[in-house]
Amino acid sequence: MTWSRTHTVIAGLSLIALTNVVALLGVAYNRNGEPEAKLSLTQRELHTPYRSYANRENSGLSLSLVWRVLREQFYDYTGMGGSPAWLDQAKMQALGFDTSAPAAYSDPRGRARYEKQLPREVLLVVELDGPAYRRSLELATEQVARAEAKLAASPGDKELGTRAKSAREAFDRETTRNSRLFVVDAGLNATVLRAAYPDTSRYALVRGSVRVDWTGRGSREVQGFISGMSIESINVPFALREVFGGAAQIDDFDQRNRTPFEATVAFGKRFEPWITAAVKK
Amino acid sequence: MSLRQNVHMNPSSRTEAQQCADEIGVFQHELGRLEREGILTLSDDQRRKVADHQRDLLAKLTQVFDIDRDAQSRQLSIGMRVASFLGALALAASVFFLFYQFWGWFPETAQVAILLVAAFGAFGATFAIQRRDGTGYFTKLAAMVAFACFVLNIAMLGQIFDITPSDKALLPWAALALLLAYACNLRLLLAAGILCLIAFVSARTGTWSGMYWLYFGERPENFFPAAVALLFVPHFLDHRRFDGFAATYRVFGLLTLFLPMLVLANWGQISYLDFDRSLIQGFYQVLGFAGSAAAVWLGTRRHWPDVVNTGLTFFVIFLYTKMYDWWWEIMPKYLFFLVIALSAVLLLVVFRRLRTSRIMAGGNP
Repeated sequence: MTWSRTHTVIAGLSLIALTNVVALLGVAYNRNGEPEAKLSLTQRELHTPYRSYANRENSGLSLSLVWRVLREQFYDYTGMGGSPAWLDQAKMQALGFDTSAPAAYSDPRGRARYEKQLPREVLLVVELDGPAYRRSLELATEQVARAEAKLAASPGDKELGTRAKSAREAFDRETTRNSRLFVVDAGLNATVLRAAYPDTSRYALVRGSVRVDWTGRGSREVQGFISGMSIESINVPFALREVFGGAAQIDDFDQRNRTPFEATVAFGKRFEPWITAAVKK
Repeated sequence: MSLRQNVHMNPSSRTEAQQCADEIGVFQHELGRLEREGILTLSDDQRRKVADHQRDLLAKLTQVFDIDRDAQSRQLSIGMRVASFLGALALAASVFFLFYQFWGWFPETAQVAILLVAAFGAFGATFAIQRRDGTGYFTKLAAMVAFACFVLNIAMLGQIFDITPSDKALLPWAALALLLAYACNLRLLLAAGILCLIAFVSARTGTWSGMYWLYFGERPENFFPAAVALLFVPHFLDHRRFDGFAATYRVFGLLTLFLPMLVLANWGQISYLDFDRSLIQGFYQVLGFAGSAAAVWLGTRRHWPDVVNTGLTFFVIFLYTKMYDWWWEIMPKYLFFLVIALSAVLLLVVFRRLRTSRIMAGGNP
């Protein structure tokens, strides 16, 4: 049989059709039945993106998922990944990383073996408004108390005054604006993780990447670093655009993310999220 | 019938047809000179027979392969090829930004329908245009748009339905690009398909070590299996009907081999190898020199100018980066550049000797 132009046309059209069918079947499978988890997120956890030069012509709207990790030293900056205390040597080993080499920074061979290990995709457990957020609130409260105690001891000190003001502002952000979504665990087995965190309205499983952290140079312990989520932003369905439409038009990033709303985000069988409902508040 | 005669009677590609037309031009020029100098004189009958044969052949070649019959049309052809290449890229970008500008105004069903219609429509339109386009320039534009529409189709499905990014998307993209490339004889689409394949094979190679596929570029050794596969493709598939396809595979194969080697020769710490950094760098420097020299040797033996040029370029880059490492800090700048110039002169001498020895071995040039 000789390969003719008709064969090429049929092959090409079949390829396009088959690829679309596979992709759409995957979507249908993910969204079929009861979602794996359903979280009620607000403008604190879902941000409209910057109107940068690159995306100013993009008529679509997707919301960035703002997540954090808990650090024992209060730190209210969000969205850049982090090294939570629970992501220790044992956890990293369980996630498939080689942690057998000495971790001392002074040992170049051991250091090289850690530096060579690239990020791995794992399942992350995100917790909404749970113990991690409450601990973060406690830390912010303690920070305010410490700063004000120091200021009370030296009332005229301008620097201490500035620090106390910053601590109060950070506390204000923590109570009213910062994301309450914390990554609290990681693993490779979804069933095991779901058994440990059965509340599907508070805990969701998402795919994300983790790497070995080498910033803690004084430490001999191996530490993990959460680099990011595999899906960082969620598309806003056309039917719900009105809820966010006003916010998306505001150029000031800080102001636009103060417009209150509540969105229900479902996570399906493939841990892929989608917005099922949204209302202005 | 010899292979050369067969090429004249039945050229299988535009390159062969153009070569045939060029040889007719050279023959006519030489015949005119011989007649003017009184060395050869054809009878009127012979002259008419030759002229009729060549005219018919050129007419046939022009009709089938759209060859250039003189230097002026050749120059115009080059301009058309450049315009077609730039137009294809710009049109593909235009399709992408057009969708980006308006997709938010439609519900999801309409978005998917638009993407499907664009992908199917552009693919069908490519073959409709190819039927009417003897030159192939407009087919190239349409094929590039068809490929862009398909890439957009799958990428946007991912964005609309929040699908986890996957390297598997590269495979159907590569398949469609290669299908269009072979169906329409387009090197631009072949290059697009090869790039998708390189990314897919390298990502798969990377995931064997457990890493997340998006980081495959951080370990240059991930590219080596793709490089080896590309270098062997022209060996197993007959590409005589496709202009420059075999050369494109070879050049991309060599780039995929030597670029990672060049990176590893300077940044050994990003290698998979668990040795001392300087040892890894030294290993890849030696491998780079030996590999590029071998490419020059192989290209010269097999008459592959693309392999010779790529090998030579990398040999010079490996040489000059090494010279920079050794001497930039310790030498006065005038001396450093003098050494570079002398090395270039040395290369010229070596290649001149090689050329002379080949001419002597093959008789007259």
